[in-house]
Amino acid sequence: MMKAQDIRRRIRSVQNTRQITRTMEMVAASKLRRAQARVQGARPYAAKLSEVIARLFVPDLAERHAILRQPEEIRNSALVLLTSNRGLAGGFNVNLIRHARFTLDELREAGVEVEFHVIGKKGIRFFRYRREPMATERQDISDRPTMEDARSIIDPLLARFESGELDAVDVVYAQFKSAISTPPARMRILPVEPSRGPEAARPLDYIFEPSSEEILTFVLPLYVRNAAYRVLVETAAAEQGARRTAMKNATDNADELIRTLTLQYNKARQAQITRELTEITGGSEALRG
Amino acid sequence: MAVPGSGRPFTLSVISPERKLFEGEAKFVVVPAFDGELGILYGHAPLMALLGSGALRVETTAGTRRFRVSGGFVQIADNEVAVVSERAEEA
Repeated sequence: MMKAQDIRRRIRSVQNTRQITRTMEMVAASKLRRAQARVQGARPYAAKLSEVIARLFVPDLAERHAILRQPEEIRNSALVLLTSNRGLAGGFNVNLIRHARFTLDELREAGVEVEFHVIGKKGIRFFRYRREPMATERQDISDRPTMEDARSIIDPLLARFESGELDAVDVVYAQFKSAISTPPARMRILPVEPSRGPEAARPLDYIFEPSSEEILTFVLPLYVRNAAYRVLVETAAAEQGARRTAMKNATDNADELIRTLTLQYNKARQAQITRELTEITGGSEALRG
Repeated sequence: MAVPGSGRPFTLSVISPERKLFEGEAKFVVVPAFDGELGILYGHAPLMALLGSGALRVETTAGTRRFRVSGGFVQIADNEVAVVSERAEEA
């Protein structure tokens, strides 16, 4: 059994850790609220873009515009992995990395030449260790990603897709379903798959300035960029959610540990007092005898 | 002589990738379209036009508000006007 003094030292150490995890939990909770607002703020724009594209898209445009090309066979593709720059977020990065490796294997087995782009310190560190070649390694995306960040990631890939150098662009990111559910997911950003939304069923005689075709070719890159922006903000919000959950669990575990240790400490202390008393009485008995 | 539709409010939303900058009623809107300014009143025909860059002026019942927009499009349908711009901010 540990000595009372040692137990007390451990309790103090656990209390210090608890204070840190508790603070991190609260910081993550407040960042999460703001990140969540950004995810929601991005929805109206995305909805409008999908609506307009669904309305303007005509299948035979795909042959005239590079951005709409639908390669029959995917030979060269780019995979973008989003991870966080900071840890202590539970399984957040591990899950993303696992999903990315799975996706890489899957694509390569299908005979696709994959170019790998990794964003976030955690992902970069892992794949450097594994000696996986990476086309880009970026750590400059903050936990408040902007449209500019999205542009800087997707625009070069979009240009290469249009030139025919790439046939597909996939992203592995963390889906923000709710603050406690942030599963990793894969999204195919390119080629664009125009969805036939309910809006297409609202026939209105629009005046187009310039032509509908020109508008479509202008709006498509916005749509692609917006998809990139959306995965960035979702991942950022998911990171905060995952961190809050992880830190909450850590705090709860610390509480539990403190409870058990306090119990042990009291037992040890009582045992020590009892032992001392027996020693004293034993000693005086011996003297008298 | 009053222009038909002038003074009657319609719905306007100004949307940027990050958030909705404005949503509410407007009486008159001037949009910087790609080939020049475009004024919108109640009862405008359905229209979809690309935006250039410049000032977006919104006459609401409560006063005038101005935004800077650059790139994007405007969509008008059934007295619902949506200004969707990649770069938009209140001036």
